[in-house]
Amino acid sequence: MTVAAGRVIDLHLHLLDRQVVDPDGRMVCKVDDLELELDERGRPYVTAILLGPRALGPRLGGRLGRWVAAIGERLAERDRPVSRIDFSLVTDIGSAIAVSRPRGRLDVIPLEDWVEEHVIARIPGSRHESE
Amino acid sequence: MKQLLSVALGVLTAIGGFVDIGDLVTSGLVGSRFGLSLAWATLVGVVGICLFAEMSGRVAAVSGRATFDLVRERLGPRAGLANLAASFLITVLTFAAEVGGIALALELASSVNYLLWVPAAGLAVWLVIWRVRFSVLENVFGLLGLALVVFAVALWKLSPSWSDLAHQVLAPHNPSGEGLPTYFYYAIALFGAAMTPYEVFFFSSGGVEEHWTKRDIRTSRLNVFVGFPLGGLLSLSIAATAALVLLPRNIEVDALAQVGLPVAVAAGKLALAAAILGFVAATFGAALETGLSSGYAVAQYFGWQWGKLVRPREAARFHLVVLASTIAAVATILTTIDPIKVTEYSVVFSAVALPLTYLPILVISNDRDYMGDKVNGRVSNLLGSVFLVLVVVAAVAAIPLMLATKAGQ
Repeated sequence: MTVAAGRVIDLHLHLLDRQVVDPDGRMVCKVDDLELELDERGRPYVTAILLGPRALGPRLGGRLGRWVAAIGERLAERDRPVSRIDFSLVTDIGSAIAVSRPRGRLDVIPLEDWVEEHVIARIPGSRHESE
Repeated sequence: MKQLLSVALGVLTAIGGFVDIGDLVTSGLVGSRFGLSLAWATLVGVVGICLFAEMSGRVAAVSGRATFDLVRERLGPRAGLANLAASFLITVLTFAAEVGGIALALELASSVNYLLWVPAAGLAVWLVIWRVRFSVLENVFGLLGLALVVFAVALWKLSPSWSDLAHQVLAPHNPSGEGLPTYFYYAIALFGAAMTPYEVFFFSSGGVEEHWTKRDIRTSRLNVFVGFPLGGLLSLSIAATAALVLLPRNIEVDALAQVGLPVAVAAGKLALAAAILGFVAATFGAALETGLSSGYAVAQYFGWQWGKLVRPREAARFHLVVLASTIAAVATILTTIDPIKVTEYSVVFSAVALPLTYLPILVISNDRDYMGDKVNGRVSNLLGSVFLVLVVVAAVAAIPLMLATKAGQ
């Protein structure tokens, strides 16, 4: 972690709902939720960024939240757990959260991959940058 | 020269964002019914859009984050989602209106029914979003849109009594004998048309795509303070020509053709051709902006990769949203609903949604955490707060006035 020692990080203000970017500057996801664990002295610490509709749904709350979570459940492969990015991969907490692994190797956004493979890649010109 | 080119983003935003189908129609309509007595609403709108676009550009330059990115961060996921739903619907409705506008402008040029042009217009818009580079897009549509300057020329050729026009602007009174609710309904429509939220989505996202940094704040300001006032000037010219030619003859604008009529009367056929070219460029530019903005809003809320600088494959869900919005926009107009009506409603609903967009911008641009020493100055904050009140008043009054006046009839 290169986050400066002694800096106070407010989970709500500085982590939740921030954009996560990879080393190539590609956007990965938002911080939809956080996974916390307790250390031996009972103090909570952040272990992972959770993402996807199943992570966002409970935070939305109410019927809408249950809907979002249920849609996420439907879209996910069977038995696939909620996508998470281990917090040890986080290299910077600024106006975006930087992670050290490229988007393609994180394997956390299966829906993007599905849409890419089944829809966008089939349209001519999808592999080229704009002219 | 580079400085000059860098203003192109502002000119495109202004031509496509400020002078879009909503503005063409509303300005012409208001000019033909109320003269210049509502010019103040456009002027107030120009100040407002300059103020908030400058803030959103500055936020984009300093933090590298576009407007909708920050909406969720500040409002939280639930209120952010409600905001997204409203903004997205209005953006797609505006997109539909713009596609209708392109088709109507092409009908003017070709006498081929606009419905036949709609699918072609939709396809062309989507192809440009899919394939054409941002800088080309800016320069081409910015420059072609400048053809609308012909309205200013027409105004000059009509050689009106300038003092009389100035008097209408400075000492506004309702000339038409129409009710005050109708008068204020159109004031809100003009204000909404000037401050449409997609303008800041597009402007800030464009800044992020061009990798603006702190050093580009000057460029951003130049864009804003040249582009939007230029747009404002064009819409005032449209209103003024309508006021001079149509109002005395009791012709009310209910079609795009009538907006161009004063140009033909004042400056002849070639000028009318230029006006039609300007209509096509302005509505096409606005269709691009709204189409992209629909994708920007959704992708930025959910944190997906977005933008035109990466290959479409790398921003798959963003392009899926843009594609779906394009289809929805084309389908809406193909129902044979009157595109001018769609435009009028999109402008009024924009007014309703204004606070959702502009409150978070004001909050973020005061946040030292993002902005460091580039936070708002005292003047920006004072004006920003005043405008926030205005925007809330307009939003609250819009729907009751629409119902009370039967949408201005």
